Amino acid sequence: MREKVLYILGAAALVILAWNTIAISRLPEETQQGVTFKIIFFHVPMWICAMTAACAAFLASVGFLVTKNFKFDAAAVAVTEVGLAFTSAGLVTGSIWGREIWGIWWTWDARLTSALVCWLLYAGYLMLRKAVEDPTQRATFAAVFSIFAFIDVPIVIFSIKWWRTQHPAPVFWAGGSFPPDWSFHFRWNVLAMMMLGVVMVAIRLRQEDAQREIDSLRRTAHAL
Amino acid sequence: MHALAQVPFLAQLATKEEILQHQYEFLSYGLAAAWVVLAVYVLMMVGRERKLKREIAGLRAMLEEKQK
Repeated sequence: MREKVLYILGAAALVILAWNTIAISRLPEETQQGVTFKIIFFHVPMWICAMTAACAAFLASVGFLVTKNFKFDAAAVAVTEVGLAFTSAGLVTGSIWGREIWGIWWTWDARLTSALVCWLLYAGYLMLRKAVEDPTQRATFAAVFSIFAFIDVPIVIFSIKWWRTQHPAPVFWAGGSFPPDWSFHFRWNVLAMMMLGVVMVAIRLRQEDAQREIDSLRRTAHAL
Repeated sequence: MHALAQVPFLAQLATKEEILQHQYEFLSYGLAAAWVVLAVYVLMMVGRERKLKREIAGLRAMLEEKQK
């Protein structure tokens, strides 16, 4: 039953994305940036998913440290991994947009640098997990590291408000403007990517359950 | 001169059609790259799922044999 729900959710997300991509391609060009501006419909939802995943990882890590329940640890690793995939996609789309509009692939401004640091921190989190053998120690170290890594998340989000950056100022908040008919398609893309993210997290959580089962079977085999 | 030609990188392109074609090219690169990143991750998850299933089946078979 749970599997069916996941497949339906994933399929619905793909249908929405396909429909919305066609609808977005029919929208008029933006005055200053032309067609390239339309990357925003994918770039920003990807970052919204990535930042939501980072928040969820933070909450799950705090949950693990408070309760010592391994379900929180599984949730933290699942959302971090999926969030890292969205972060990677967000960095790539941003870089391609920058090449077209700025003429450069990358610049070390506050937004881009903090975003790259965010990627490195969460990649480090996953590497740390692989380096520690003992499950309790691994979960504790990882939870502390995840809470530390979360410090970068508000910096990524608010850097374009706090500092003068080459990255464009906020479009959706802090006085920015976005045409209402474009917002409609933007919101659908956010919803579809969130749905995709939920499906990926659910699959990743199932894999963590399977890993725990393997650990338990290994202990039983060792005891026999 | 078309308004988009004020964007420094696009200034070297003369006509609106050239700019549009160039922009569509980059837009498609952007979208393709983003979906490739996510698709690679999904493929990695599928591979891991298969590996875990194989490992569980192998361990269960080993345990059954040991208990006989």
